Amino acid sequence: MTELLAARARQVIRTGEGEAGIECEKQSVAGSVSQRACTFCGSRVVLYPIADAVHLVHGPIGCAVYTWDIRGALSSGPELHRLSFSTDLRERHVVFGGEQQLEASLVELIERHQPKAAFVYATCIVGVIGDDVSAICRTVSERYGIPVVPVQSEGFQGSKKQGYDAACEALMSLIGTADASDVGKHTVNLLGDFNLAGEIWIITEYLKKMGVEVVANLTGDGRVDDIRKAHGAGLNLVQCSGSTTRLAMQMQAKYGIPFKKISYFGIDDMAAALYAVAEHFKDPDMLERTRELVSAEIAEILPVIEECRRDLEGKRAAIYVGGAFKAISLVKALRLLGMKTVLAGSQTGTRDDYDYLTELCDPGTVIVDDSNPAELSTFLSEGKADLFIGGVKERPLAYKLGVAFCDHNHERKLPLEGFIGMANFAREVRASVCSPVWQFAPRHQNTEPQPLEV
Amino acid sequence: MRKVAIYGKGGIGKSTTTQNTVAALAEMGNQVMVVGCDPKADSTRLLLGGLAQRSVLDTLRVEGEDVELEDVLADGFSKSKCVESGGPEPGVGCAGRGIITSINLLERLGAYEESLDYVFYDVLGDVVCGGFAMPIREGKAEEIYIVASGEMMAMYAANNICKGIKKFATTGTVRLGGIICNSRNVDKEYELIDHFARELGTKMIHFVPRDNDVQRAEINKKTVIEWNPTCNQADEYRALAKAIEENDMFVIPKPMETDTLESLLLEHGMLEVA
Repeated sequence: MTELLAARARQVIRTGEGEAGIECEKQSVAGSVSQRACTFCGSRVVLYPIADAVHLVHGPIGCAVYTWDIRGALSSGPELHRLSFSTDLRERHVVFGGEQQLEASLVELIERHQPKAAFVYATCIVGVIGDDVSAICRTVSERYGIPVVPVQSEGFQGSKKQGYDAACEALMSLIGTADASDVGKHTVNLLGDFNLAGEIWIITEYLKKMGVEVVANLTGDGRVDDIRKAHGAGLNLVQCSGSTTRLAMQMQAKYGIPFKKISYFGIDDMAAALYAVAEHFKDPDMLERTRELVSAEIAEILPVIEECRRDLEGKRAAIYVGGAFKAISLVKALRLLGMKTVLAGSQTGTRDDYDYLTELCDPGTVIVDDSNPAELSTFLSEGKADLFIGGVKERPLAYKLGVAFCDHNHERKLPLEGFIGMANFAREVRASVCSPVWQFAPRHQNTEPQPLEV
Repeated sequence: MRKVAIYGKGGIGKSTTTQNTVAALAEMGNQVMVVGCDPKADSTRLLLGGLAQRSVLDTLRVEGEDVELEDVLADGFSKSKCVESGGPEPGVGCAGRGIITSINLLERLGAYEESLDYVFYDVLGDVVCGGFAMPIREGKAEEIYIVASGEMMAMYAANNICKGIKKFATTGTVRLGGIICNSRNVDKEYELIDHFARELGTKMIHFVPRDNDVQRAEINKKTVIEWNPTCNQADEYRALAKAIEENDMFVIPKPMETDTLESLLLEHGMLEVA
């Protein structure tokens, strides 16, 4: 049993024990080995899927290497985003300033790749030595006639949440810079979908069937020219609430675009998202088309769900993801598979999301904010979890404990969004949970593992 | 080898005092190296007869890693050895990191030869960040002299520098060797700085009177001792050099609270009673 750090005591609650609400939206406690990434990394993952832009990391080479092609955001066209560019700052640049290196790198990259825009990410050292990144960006932008956007993402500012904000600032500076007079009435922007495994194409297809056109993807399979006219859309759909709610609020204030927080995971939330769009546009025909779409899709996947449910009924799941909003969808989706959630946590959840999650979960579920490997391992063991749902940093925890794992983050290869995504999710969870390999895990043995005889 | 660093408020005369003192020590037969730790790279011009040599960092920038000691080390007056750390243009980069880079490189190149009797670090006026404290970290300068005058801001600065020395003294070997008064002809300056030094737990190691011969020598790009070895000011610097040579009082300073410092100024008639 791992003891909680005293400073984190109020970031963990157990549902049904009448506790006051969870503490969240605060800096990580030193020494807790948080699962969160740095500010720079936060900016990078949000903006990275804009496929026809150069993404230049202004800093030492490591910052670019460790965020190279960091999430499997697919593009239907250009794949410039999958390259990782760096100004490769060395000791002499730190002493004499990195501005010349930055300008030379931008010039070289723009001439070689002819991008629609360039994003320049400021890393820690750039913030310390005070390079005037904005001034260089302005100069190069004037010279080449494309947007060159500084992203103020110095890692030491905080955790990845501050990086999301810096990314939103950068996006705001692009939005509204092109003519949007040809954008129709029944149009939306998709915010916070990163097109992992091509998921955004599934959603776009649903919307198309309903008669709704997508103006811009922010940011999965994103295009600079679409983003520049995103201010013409009639509605913003915010999926990854942690990263882009702020952008939606800014667009509402500046351009009067309303927004809806939705989720494309699970049958309930996927259907609710589509109905919310139809209701927003107040078009009876669209509402009818949506009903038809939803019932047809559900009818198709229901047999898969039922089949998987037979094997999964009564199994126990643990969830630790980026935002608590996604955790909510997952609890519902797991319930549909007959599974009980014993742990639901996130890196950057908000108080509202956690309160809803607390209400939603069965009594005795652990709700945790900004957790760490030691805590998560304890919760998995105590909760006797059969399945852990998380990302790349949670995967080894599950495997070490001999627990089935489902990647619900950057590295997923099968789409988990949409109705078809729910079927994929059900199959993947069953395949992992029911794998015969777990019988060899120490937790399923009566004895401690014996040393190998040589 | 004695390792000495000279600190003090900007414009107080650190570089002038350092070079004239080094000239006197060299004249006495000592092997002395001066390391200028100021991005302006003007800590050795009097010993070299003008700005004659490339700074360590400029050389590093041009030559890459293949820097030889001869590229950055020049012989000055009376076989003194002169190095300028150098640094970026004002307003760009990180001058503090430059000093760290530069001193690390000098160590790697073997600039600190066994045969040296003295190394002098002449450091930019304000210890604005960790880089400018590099010369007083463990294993670098072991004795510090602060140049001050009877002017209030010079004493504030000296007191602040003592706070820095105290921090490094408690974790390392650096000690305060004394206050050098570079006179600005302030009323009762001798008594004031003498008292100030004692409050800090140290002593005024020498009172250098104001003399226009210093400026005359500087215009000729020379130390006073080289320009006119027989003038009175040359003897003042010889006296300062001798005091440093014979100094055996090395202390952890006791920096003052602002109130104490101001009451000291009040006592010597520098501040009017409000």
